[in-house]
Amino acid sequence: MNDLNAGTSRRVQKRTILMAFFFFLWFFVLTLRLIELQVIEHPRLRAAVIRQSQSERPIIPERGTIYDRHGQILARSLPAPTVCLIPGDDDTPRDLYARAERLKTIVGLSAAELQKIRLRIENGDSYIYVKRKINWDQAERIANLNLKSVYIQRENRRFYPLGSLAAHVLGGVNIDGEGQAGVELQYNSRLEGVKGRSLILKDANRRRYGWEILKEPISGQDLILTIDATIQYIAERELERAVREHEANWGTVIVSHPASGEILAMATSPTYDPNNYPPSPLELVRNRAIQENFEPGSMFKIVTATAAREAGVVGFNEVFDCRDGFVRVAGWTISDHKKMGLLTFPEVFIHSSNVGTIRVGQRVGQEKLCRMIQDFRFGRRTGIDLPGEEAGIFHPLPGWSRTSLAAHSIGYEISVTAVQILQAMNIVANGGLLVPFRITRAGINPTGLNPKPPEAAVRVISEKTASDLTRRVFEGVVSEGTGQSARIEGFRAAGKTGTARKLDPKLHVYMSDRHLASFVGFVPADRPAISIVVVLDEPKFSYQYGGQVAAPVFREIARRVLLYLRESPRLDSNPKTMIARLQTQDTP
Amino acid sequence: MVRKKLDKKEIATAAGCIVLAVGGLTFYVWHQAALIQIGLQTGRLEEKIAGLKEDIQKLEMTRAALLAPARVDRIAREQLMLVEPQPEQLIYEDIQTTKDHE
Repeated sequence: MNDLNAGTSRRVQKRTILMAFFFFLWFFVLTLRLIELQVIEHPRLRAAVIRQSQSERPIIPERGTIYDRHGQILARSLPAPTVCLIPGDDDTPRDLYARAERLKTIVGLSAAELQKIRLRIENGDSYIYVKRKINWDQAERIANLNLKSVYIQRENRRFYPLGSLAAHVLGGVNIDGEGQAGVELQYNSRLEGVKGRSLILKDANRRRYGWEILKEPISGQDLILTIDATIQYIAERELERAVREHEANWGTVIVSHPASGEILAMATSPTYDPNNYPPSPLELVRNRAIQENFEPGSMFKIVTATAAREAGVVGFNEVFDCRDGFVRVAGWTISDHKKMGLLTFPEVFIHSSNVGTIRVGQRVGQEKLCRMIQDFRFGRRTGIDLPGEEAGIFHPLPGWSRTSLAAHSIGYEISVTAVQILQAMNIVANGGLLVPFRITRAGINPTGLNPKPPEAAVRVISEKTASDLTRRVFEGVVSEGTGQSARIEGFRAAGKTGTARKLDPKLHVYMSDRHLASFVGFVPADRPAISIVVVLDEPKFSYQYGGQVAAPVFREIARRVLLYLRESPRLDSNPKTMIARLQTQDTP
Repeated sequence: MVRKKLDKKEIATAAGCIVLAVGGLTFYVWHQAALIQIGLQTGRLEEKIAGLKEDIQKLEMTRAALLAPARVDRIAREQLMLVEPQPEQLIYEDIQTTKDHE
């Protein structure tokens, strides 16, 4: 009995050991497999699982709003639906393409767009845009179709409620909401905010069942511009009218407040609608006010007159002989538009005599004129907070030829931008102080209003020179000289006209029938409220002079803007401009 | 086997513990449920706030578009038949009078 029990016990023991061995072996193999999966193959398998069950997508934050100086909205982002395809495992390329084709008429897909979608489907992309930033009606119609693997997602779309107003200042954004031009580009990093991250969770069939925010997006900052929407509208309307009337190639206007350097309006014609950015042709985006170099012609005589007075080489009562009507400089003949006789220093500029100005320039000399041009910051960007500003073209003294002194005196052999010329006139308007331009007043971030302090003013010329020139020369240009069309009843205006012949790029000669007409000035002359520069390229018909083409634009803009700014017209001691009197008991 | 006789005090303690445990558990479950409910309600209200904010933004945009200077100008001229004042309709301020006021 004991032997039997002992034998049974041994058998049981053997079987137990065998079973334990098999269990151990099985467990060992499992462990090995587990190590393989969890350690050796871990990175690859983890990536495969994530690819299959999750996809990470950026969350575009709400872009900051852009306001004008009075809080009028110029640009704002609002949610807009985007229709996309997220293919499941059981979706064949043919099914997916058929669904995309069903959406064709609703969202207006072109053949090229459909072809792009087909390529992405065939490529096996896990996320395919069908059409981005459609309207909500279209989104509702698509949702009603209840198509498999077709999703509507929310994005932000940039809207410009005032249409083309201030288009060149605002610029525009691309389909991803990134600034491409203007303020949108200049302040892109502040406006766009910080992107967030989201995780899309998918089931085994790669159908989306969840949405998780990994990182909250931070909205962009708002911006307040110095632009005044009403003044901008006035400037654009008058500019557009002038460009159309004179069939000019293009035109530009800048309105600024000289004392603060704030740009109140900046317009370029032809313009575009930033709601449909980029425009066609892309050339329309070019902001001519800061990106177009041109020879200024007579407008540049501001610098020559200032240099003469600052150097003390010419008195106001000195007379210049302009009776010949032309002058020869190193084989180059420069003439006036008419014979003018003997002219005093102010009359030379009031009547814009090239002969007289060259004689003044010769009195000043190369070095002093060159230094004054540099003091006025020509050949350097003004530093306005807009992208793509041109610096103009100015050759320093070693590069000057025998004709350069004469040419520079009357605004040739140098290229400037409209904003540079306005800056020069603002120096005179501000009593000799250069106040840097700016187009943004403040940013608004979560902590509140963050005003942008104006940059410090720099003295360029003496106050006496500036006030003397304003009173005796630039007011004279408007009251009795070439800029009479800029005269505004009830206001004393100061300015300078410009009519520059254009250079034939092939023949390298100045053309007699192609001009750039311009006017720069400020008003009221004694306490400037606004300064304006107007430039029109190649005005057609018989009127081609700055005084005939650009000065009236200055007048109309200034008249309306002064009325809008509640600047009261005043009686002038000059009887020519006294047209009405405040009614009193004494007056009949 | 001899059954241990429990005294009333022990029974009361045990019953008290059970009641306390059940009560605590009930309170915990109720608390959690209430929290979830409040969370859901908060979520709904937050969604509503977000929706209203979006509506406000859209309305502000509509207002901005309606107040566009070009539109106001067109309505003033074409519908209200307003015209700009002619030079002779302007009454100019007397410079002497202004100085007296200043």
